[in-house]
Amino acid sequence: MDIITILFYLVTSVIILSSMSLVILNNTVHAALLLVLIFFNSAILWLMLKAEFLAIVLVLVYVGAVLVLFLFVIMLLDIPIKKNISQKLYLLFSVTISIIMFAELYMVIFYHDFVASVPTSANSALEFNNTYEIGLSLFTNYIFSFEITAFILLVAIIAAIAINMTGRQRSLRQDPGKQILENKKSRLKIIKDEDL
Amino acid sequence: MITMSHYLVFSALLFCISVAGIFINRKNILLLLMSIELMLLAVNTNFIVFSHYSNDITGQVFVFFILAVAAAESAIGLAIIVSLFRIRNSLEINLINNLKG
Repeated sequence: MDIITILFYLVTSVIILSSMSLVILNNTVHAALLLVLIFFNSAILWLMLKAEFLAIVLVLVYVGAVLVLFLFVIMLLDIPIKKNISQKLYLLFSVTISIIMFAELYMVIFYHDFVASVPTSANSALEFNNTYEIGLSLFTNYIFSFEITAFILLVAIIAAIAINMTGRQRSLRQDPGKQILENKKSRLKIIKDEDL
Repeated sequence: MITMSHYLVFSALLFCISVAGIFINRKNILLLLMSIELMLLAVNTNFIVFSHYSNDITGQVFVFFILAVAAAESAIGLAIIVSLFRIRNSLEINLINNLKG
């Protein structure tokens, strides 16, 4: 067993065990912290597959932004932890379905023989630059998809702000719509003095 | 020696665990979102494995797009969760049945 094999089994066992405990424990704070562990170990796995750029992006974007957002929401909402009632049926159902799915995937992996159908000529040249290759491909062949991705991120920003915008007025600025809708009757009330 | 099948079996296992997580954590919508993130991670690992062994950069470019879209998705999902919690004071999914679906 060389060091790569030992590292592979260590990393994958950490990922599998922590994802199992994430699924079972039913505690959101622990789940978010376990997700951090899973993403770090996946970054190690991606580094072993020579995808250096994506490994760093996974740590920066996912651990740095998305999981911090998750933790923010968890701390902000303060959800009471409840024990699940009538969970046994769901547990049986889910375990059955996932075992069937895994058996099917396992059969696909081992009877199709991907290793023979894929040309295995791993690029081990010293001057091979993963980030350079991704950038070259991204800005030539996939430039349209790249622009669409930027647009999707813009839409996500606007949607996330617009969903949580409350209607409460915070400042004393004028609202032109309300000003136009005002008429004489809503401002002035005429009381007839009948005694005189 | 680690072959391609090792990686593929690992990501299949991760995917199946997160599918089980979606069924088990039906009460908590935050854990549901986390399970979806785990499924995306398994799929991305598959993409990178095929990209590495077939010596083609396209798989990694696709993983880049998936990461961007997943970040947008989780941001909008968390915004919806916050506004839902503000309205209903709970996150139980079986109580969200306004549409009678």
